[in-house]
Amino acid sequence: MDIAAISSQPLAKLLGASAMAEEVPVNPDIELVARTQAGDARAFDELVIKYSPRLYGLVYNMTSNHEDANDLLQEVFAKAFRSINGFRGKSSFYTWIHSIAVNMTINFLKKRGRRFQMSLDDVDLNIQNDKEFIELTATSSPVRQADLSELQQKLNESMLKLSPEHRAVVTMFDIQGMPHAEISKILGVSEGTIRSRLFYAHRQLQAHLDEFRKR
Amino acid sequence: MQEDPDEISKLLRLKRFEQPTPDYFERFLEEFKDRQRAQLLREPAWRIAWDRMWAFLGEQMRPRLGYGLASTAVLAAAAIASFNILESRSVEVASAPEQQHPAAQTASLNLNADQVQLPDLPSLTPSTAHTASLNTPRYVMDARPVSYEPPSSF
Repeated sequence: MDIAAISSQPLAKLLGASAMAEEVPVNPDIELVARTQAGDARAFDELVIKYSPRLYGLVYNMTSNHEDANDLLQEVFAKAFRSINGFRGKSSFYTWIHSIAVNMTINFLKKRGRRFQMSLDDVDLNIQNDKEFIELTATSSPVRQADLSELQQKLNESMLKLSPEHRAVVTMFDIQGMPHAEISKILGVSEGTIRSRLFYAHRQLQAHLDEFRKR
Repeated sequence: MQEDPDEISKLLRLKRFEQPTPDYFERFLEEFKDRQRAQLLREPAWRIAWDRMWAFLGEQMRPRLGYGLASTAVLAAAAIASFNILESRSVEVASAPEQQHPAAQTASLNLNADQVQLPDLPSLTPSTAHTASLNTPRYVMDARPVSYEPPSSF
């Protein structure tokens, strides 16, 4: 079977063919996608359960608004469900759905402009046990002077000063801990661009938080 | 006083602790299903059929379809252009004798008359000047046609 023929077939057929050829461990995402393509809506529910916390974090940290994040995430999964038959497995499902989420959120932020209010989620109280939080509160930093909710407010305000593209990179790298290579695949730009966006964003955030510290 | 460059990253990592209520993700799936159902009921039948058709065609088919449409458009444009060219040529061929005949006929018919009546000639305007200059006779001197252009040999 040549490559052109393979790439033109739905994932479900390919999966069946390859499973017959040799017994290889199948990526659970590929299997769920194949089942969804075959019409099993419950398989897509499993994908929603699996990816909603991570994608919520991505959209929420880019919008700083819980209601917007919820609506956007609903639309992201709806769009993914509508276009899942076009998914051929050229990238992982993880990359594919993250690309949808980032692009939709960037478009949303560009339309929204500055007309919005922050609607922040509560900070999990487990933060008090976090090693980095303890370190930060022990040293000279904005954290020591500010209480937790003020710090949260300032961090979100600083994030909102960034452009949507820079915010996306900071969210994925600093908050979600994704590697540069993964971010570059999701955004469809080079790793060099990711590094340069991160450098610029960190410089801007530092300047804004310095102002906060001087008060 | 400069901050530790990693401090920004550490501060940003604290944002991971901003979390929705614990039951949010349980409700999320139910809300997703409700919205999907509501959208299906709201959407017109043609829209659902259109979406399904596109889903069926898939992303692999779309480029081929695009190539097909593009080549059809090019062929159609070429056909229209060639038809127009052929049509304009046939109009020229058909109209050329008609322009000369009336004048010639009028002149020959009136040769026997006392006074030769010349047909009305169109006034010479700048747009027709070039055409008129092409029709003017060129005189031959020393068996060579007179050239209006300066000689290029030195």
